[in-house]
Amino acid sequence: MKLDNVFKKTRLSSGRKGYISLNSAKPEVPEGLLRKCNKCGSAIIAEDVKKDYYICPKCGGYFRVHAYRRIEMVTDEGTFEEWDEGLTTPNPLEYKGYEEKLRMLKEKTGLDEAVVTGKARIDGTETVLGVCDGRFLMASMGEVVGEKIARAVERATKERLPVILFACSGGARMQEGIISLMQMAKTSAALKRHSDAGLLYISVLTDPTTGGVTASFAMLGDVILAEPKALIGFAGPRVIEQTIGQKLPKGFQRSEFLLEHGFIDGIVERPQMKQTLSQILMLHKEERCPSPGEVAKQEKRNESAWLKEDGNGELSLNNQLASGWDRVLLSRMNDRPVGSDYIHALFTDFIEFHGDRYYADDKAVIGGVALFRGMPVTVIAQAKGTNTRENIERNFGMPSPDGYRKALRLMKQAEKFHRPVICFVDTPGAFCGLEAEERGQGEAIARNIYEMSGLKVPVLSVIIGEGGSGGALAMAVADEVWMLENSVYSILSPEGFASILWKDSSKAEEAAGVMRLTAEDLYCMGIVEEVLAEPAPYTIENLKEVTRILESKMECFLDRYGKMSGEELTKRRYDRFRKM
Amino acid sequence: MIKKVLIANRGEIAVRIIRACREMGIETVAVYSEADREALHAKLADEAVCIGPAPSSESYLSMDRIISATIITGADAIHPGFGFLSENSKFAELCEQCHITFIGPDSKVIAKLGNKQEARNTMAAAGVPVIPGSTEPIYDAEEGARIAAQIGYPVIVKAALGGGGKGMRVAGTPEEFAHSFQTAQKETQMAFGDNTMYIEHFVQRPRHIEFQILADQYGNVVHLGERDCSIQRNHQKMIEESPSVALSEDLRGRMGEAAVKAAKAAGYQNAGTIEFLLEKSGNFYFMEMNTRIQVEHPVTEWVTGIDLIKEQLRIASGRKLSYTQEDIHLNGHAIECRINAENPAKGFRPSPGTITDMYLPGGKGIRIDSAIYSGYSIPPYYDSMVAKLIVWAKNRKEAVRKMQSALGEVIIEGIDTNVDYQYEILNRPDYLSGDIDIEFIAENEEALKAALKA
Repeated sequence: MKLDNVFKKTRLSSGRKGYISLNSAKPEVPEGLLRKCNKCGSAIIAEDVKKDYYICPKCGGYFRVHAYRRIEMVTDEGTFEEWDEGLTTPNPLEYKGYEEKLRMLKEKTGLDEAVVTGKARIDGTETVLGVCDGRFLMASMGEVVGEKIARAVERATKERLPVILFACSGGARMQEGIISLMQMAKTSAALKRHSDAGLLYISVLTDPTTGGVTASFAMLGDVILAEPKALIGFAGPRVIEQTIGQKLPKGFQRSEFLLEHGFIDGIVERPQMKQTLSQILMLHKEERCPSPGEVAKQEKRNESAWLKEDGNGELSLNNQLASGWDRVLLSRMNDRPVGSDYIHALFTDFIEFHGDRYYADDKAVIGGVALFRGMPVTVIAQAKGTNTRENIERNFGMPSPDGYRKALRLMKQAEKFHRPVICFVDTPGAFCGLEAEERGQGEAIARNIYEMSGLKVPVLSVIIGEGGSGGALAMAVADEVWMLENSVYSILSPEGFASILWKDSSKAEEAAGVMRLTAEDLYCMGIVEEVLAEPAPYTIENLKEVTRILESKMECFLDRYGKMSGEELTKRRYDRFRKM
Repeated sequence: MIKKVLIANRGEIAVRIIRACREMGIETVAVYSEADREALHAKLADEAVCIGPAPSSESYLSMDRIISATIITGADAIHPGFGFLSENSKFAELCEQCHITFIGPDSKVIAKLGNKQEARNTMAAAGVPVIPGSTEPIYDAEEGARIAAQIGYPVIVKAALGGGGKGMRVAGTPEEFAHSFQTAQKETQMAFGDNTMYIEHFVQRPRHIEFQILADQYGNVVHLGERDCSIQRNHQKMIEESPSVALSEDLRGRMGEAAVKAAKAAGYQNAGTIEFLLEKSGNFYFMEMNTRIQVEHPVTEWVTGIDLIKEQLRIASGRKLSYTQEDIHLNGHAIECRINAENPAKGFRPSPGTITDMYLPGGKGIRIDSAIYSGYSIPPYYDSMVAKLIVWAKNRKEAVRKMQSALGEVIIEGIDTNVDYQYEILNRPDYLSGDIDIEFIAENEEALKAALKA
């Protein structure tokens, strides 16, 4: 049955008496009650937007945030102390109408300039903070912006404080010409001094971060975070499109694009921003160091551990009978714990940092900072997946050059902050492919070997599965290298070995027998310092049996090497490989 | 007087409100989702505005769209019906800010009564009986036992962070208390990682008795008697009636007085319902106040002769109540059965689909509020209630018979309904004798299933 236009409409009663209307005002939406989301176009109740971190409740899109609101969102209430208020620009080019424009903007926004700087606390930790405000000439960087940032960074260097800068900018300010360009150098140079003083700089990129700001302070963070879907780039999309005459792909120059291309450490949702910053600050607090007393206690406990090592260096392994090939198969077992399992079992407060800052974020390598028994360490793991889908994503644990470069970047960062480096090695080998060669796989491996030999912080590498050739060594130029009982470490896979020497890769089993690639062999040859017994079968279920021992051994390692100077460490490391 | 009302709802209640408006010469605006293009309310109203896609979150719950529709169509009031935005204080506030009359109480009153703890405190302060319970967190059995004795047995021990029935134990006597407390606390620790407990008087097998009130803007409040809504399945009401056989004239007077007191304490205006739990002993306790029109309002309308929707519109227009408590008399007996598109044989699974044919009963003392018609497709996105069958007779016995007869005539083809299930409930001896409480369905479940199969 169709009901279209079949019903009679309301007939207004003519004699209707007018009752006193409660609403003298006509229904209308008062000014400011609703806002329009410029991402999805829907009308939103302004108060909802405010309450909810300025995120559109409909599409999840981010509204731009005023500087002071941003400060409220990420700092402890009432702790912000503003610096260098009231600096003004002299109009260096005597650009017509510029002063008038600034005056109007000041009036409209209540801001002096496009950046607010000062000092605040985040979950109790003191930090210097600079926040750009897009309402002021798209937060373009002129002399005052550059000056305020430089002064804040200088003062942070003097007071030995970390710096957090929230970037949001159209770039250098055209109205101030060459003076604006020089701010890129000024801010960058100030940050260089801050960094050389061993201090932390976190850069947070918000929508939009472009031009001269991207090409200076925004991209220089020890840690670079971004808000989701923020436009981040050097040349703006319109400029690029006009120059090359092409339409840019969707998602180009957005945070997610930058993450994929290795330029940022992570994307952080606004509601989690304060907590993330707080965690990073906590992991970089200067006063943190391990207490030797605790370590001594630990050493005692080790003696009763179930892995026994007698005076002759004879190993007590759970399975003495396994052949080389058996161990190769065991090291490749599907349900064997992988790098990320060790990270979760051994560390707390792990925060993953992404990207090599050149080309990509390689998922075959996981790296970041975590606490080991309360002590900050840099953790890097070659990552196999735990299922096929994850294995494909992680390229079966075969790192690309980008993976090695990410690892090196994080090791250099560890050196800057005097953090030990713990590596977990588990790779069939470095990725063998066209793209890997194009980007210099050999160079990347060489560079890691070279740089690791000179790292001035303790480095420990633990081979937890396959230690495949140069791809493994690029993360194992360490003060000590340890192996799990059924892990292997070799010049090449047994298949490759058989193929090269005997022209027959099917003789892999035989090859495994002669290659001396087992932990026991390598221990006897002095290639590795420790071998950790494994339960059989070894899975995530009984991972704790291994990590319990590993944890106490790691504590001893960190205690022993943590006391050494950088020179002593590098000398010992040199000698370690020199005698091989 | 309100001239044009936008009905921010769908289904039978939207139809009900449109009809009341039409009778009063008030123009109507319906809003509908893309799934409700063919819905009766959208066809029946003077104007209809599509406010978004099928999911309620993007249509019937979208405040800004409803406000926009109101302003575009020039309506001066919004009737929220029940469910959706009807008890959303933010929506009411938004209406206030936009100078749109929200047909219901003040937004602050909705907010206050929507907060369980605040509502309870308000009522207790006004002298409305609430379920006695501990006021401080309890951590050990000894302290708990002392408080339980003050409250009076039986008591129920609950997790302070509770929910989902976990960490709840009843103790009937002081002897059982320690064991019940420890078991509940252990469960609480496991479930919530916390051992804070709360003790409350356990209301055993109560009836659900609610009082309808009307309050104008000038402080006049009347109650329109009770509704007995004890026939519930998983807290969903199935059958409601008025009056309740459990209330003597004296008890009705006392409960009604408490309801009026409650409404006054809350600063309430417009139509509202105060829910009580009634113990066999005759003790009753405030449970919550519903700040909207209710599904079961027709039973009250029939025994009092008052049109509640029209009263809502009048009150919202600033009119005074034209009667006092003395003028209210309950006459005869009314029963309502909710007819849902669901399959009782398959765990009451919703049964959306097209109604291929239908026949509904009529005659003296029979009222049907529905939004279905032959050829109508019930969309799967919303509540499964599609019609309400209400009967009236001089007394309960006759009303029950009339309902049985009416249910027996209902034909709805193309979808499954709970009509036969309702019919079987009406034939249970306990129902016929009026000996019902909120455990009725749980207790008769097997018998009802068996009867359906037969």
